Amino acid sequence: MKRIIHTKNAPAAVGPYSQAVEIKGTLYISGQVPIDPSTGEIVGDNVSEQTEQVLRNIGAILEEAGYSYRDVVKSTCFLTDMANFTEMNEVYAGFYTNEQPARAAFAVKGLPLGAMIEIETIAVK
Amino acid sequence: MKYLDKILLFFLVIIIFGSCSTKTVKKVVSLDNITAGRPYSPAIEVGNTLYLSGQIAVDPATGEMIESGIEDQTDQVLKNIKAIVEKAGYSMSDVVKCNVMLSDIEFYGQMNSIYKTYFPEEPPARKAFAVKDLPMGALVEIDAIAIK
Repeated sequence: MKRIIHTKNAPAAVGPYSQAVEIKGTLYISGQVPIDPSTGEIVGDNVSEQTEQVLRNIGAILEEAGYSYRDVVKSTCFLTDMANFTEMNEVYAGFYTNEQPARAAFAVKGLPLGAMIEIETIAVK
Repeated sequence: MKYLDKILLFFLVIIIFGSCSTKTVKKVVSLDNITAGRPYSPAIEVGNTLYLSGQIAVDPATGEMIESGIEDQTDQVLKNIKAIVEKAGYSMSDVVKCNVMLSDIEFYGQMNSIYKTYFPEEPPARKAFAVKDLPMGALVEIDAIAIK
């Protein structure tokens, strides 16, 4: 019933978790940080570049699971600094153009591997 | 129209309607003045599940943040949640899960004192924690999932 999603087109997990788990038409995607899957390194010197990489990683996982950005119903965005909110929104809006997912966003004290942004995602189809 | 074309059209119609009936429909729940300029919907409904965006204490009538402390902010946040939940045809008793983000964990008790008045019976599952910072300098943000 539970299906573990794995793709080389998104970064390997950096801890004991799956990239995503699908069950009964709902896909739970782990929080993604801006790791380039080809190098395993964090990329981007600013939040725009980092947000772009995070959303590309999410796209690769969605695709592997047979979903698309249009199926996303909820995102949670973790920033290290609320000052990056607007810049993050600009890139984010380019990936979710209509029927935009519900979302929560806030700044946390720290993120894995020193990332500036992490995004967690739920998709349903 | 040629006979073959009619056959093809017939199958095309069957395929289109067939895919419509199996596809879960994603529905945006929107209020008039709550998300101006932000890349998210107040809530998304799929099937019988409603995913609500994180709400902060912005008064929808003025677009301004309620500035008078954690209790008033919690009250406004839950008013906003209730408005979205009811707009979608759900009720507060359909809320199954909330996440409560506070700007300071010292607010936990005061937040709870207001929160419990919105969920007097069978309160939803919940997690609550303090973050570094919230949008617009809010003291509290709450998101929710409702199922009916």
